[in-house]
Amino acid sequence: MVLDVTAKDTKGKVLFAEKKTYFEIGVDTDRDMRYGAWQIKEIIDLTLPPLQTQKEQYLMHFDTDTDEVEIEAKLWYYISGGKGDVVYSVKKKMEFETD
Amino acid sequence: MKIKATLALFAIGLLGLSQVGMAAKPKEADTIDELLKIHDNSSCKECHSEAHEQWSKSWHAKAVISSLKGMRNFIKVGLEKEWNTPLTKIQLLKCLDCHAPIVNFASEKLAKEIGGLIVTAFEKKGTRAGDAAKKELAKLNVGCTSCHNIKATTVAKGLRGEPEYGVVYGPNGNDSDGHESIESVEMGRSLFCMQCHGIYTAPDGEKIQCNTLSGSYQDAYINLGGSQTCQDCHMKDTGHFFPGGHDLATVKKGLGFNVQITDYRHLPGKVPGVKNKKAWVPSVLVTAFIENKTGHRVPDG
Repeated sequence: MVLDVTAKDTKGKVLFAEKKTYFEIGVDTDRDMRYGAWQIKEIIDLTLPPLQTQKEQYLMHFDTDTDEVEIEAKLWYYISGGKGDVVYSVKKKMEFETD
Repeated sequence: MKIKATLALFAIGLLGLSQVGMAAKPKEADTIDELLKIHDNSSCKECHSEAHEQWSKSWHAKAVISSLKGMRNFIKVGLEKEWNTPLTKIQLLKCLDCHAPIVNFASEKLAKEIGGLIVTAFEKKGTRAGDAAKKELAKLNVGCTSCHNIKATTVAKGLRGEPEYGVVYGPNGNDSDGHESIESVEMGRSLFCMQCHGIYTAPDGEKIQCNTLSGSYQDAYINLGGSQTCQDCHMKDTGHFFPGGHDLATVKKGLGFNVQITDYRHLPGKVPGVKNKKAWVPSVLVTAFIENKTGHRVPDG
């Protein structure tokens, strides 16, 4: 699962982009990362725990002549490999007074 | 007189057998079609059409053909290369005891053939041989009798014993015209699902970790006061369809997403790299709260 946060200017140019991935890493008994179910004996848990709320914060600074940006936060869920679906998406346009 | 008495005893014996279902332990099958007859699911839908319809669209219905890559890798990489161990029924059951429990009733010869079909279906995908292998494997799945008989007593075997052949286990044990039933309260508990949806321990002790849902359910969710069962969420309104991570609506239901976006202007001269060092710097703070409302870690597996 990936939290994808971007900021774009009015022309669509990406001014800010950050991703946070929630996943688990399977490791064998030597602590080497593995994919096979028969190889994985333990996990490193970077997922969202049940009944918990995770907070992520991003502070963005834009150039001094930026008068408008569009912020978008998307939550992607990848069920297998590369196939991802957007579970939630939030967009907001921000306008700034420039000097 | 002696013949009459013998016939009478035989008749009583037959009656007894029919009353306890078909208590005799089935023989092992040498073909997939024979295997399917040992635990025949085909007539269940005649009375349980809604459950069958839900199940037919579920991942349980395609539990083998949806996992060909992983199972092929276990055979060709795990067994063949890493463990240098021949493919046997015991080894194959490390996958199929959960993905197709009926394979417990396969002969050694058939189990090896099924292993070969898995390799062919994956490696020759799109060819006649590959498609034929996949078609055969599509007959194997987590079907009605997988849960309602074969695995019904696994989590409480000391108390319940081996499942009685030919009997249908269910959470309420209601008898029907079609079959004898035995109440199995375990089927309504998370423990029942966890026998496969968690770390699987093979009879030889090997740990197989396809997914780890049960770990976070048991040690995190329950620990934090959660009390819902797997069935409470994954069978509510959807019955035997068991929606989960493959179903976007279910994923959405299990997650909360609250994003707060606010702007401000940062002090001039404090942000490097801007065009005008004397100007206020347009800035935004994005705070995202992602809530996991489910009873297990997200994502898993």
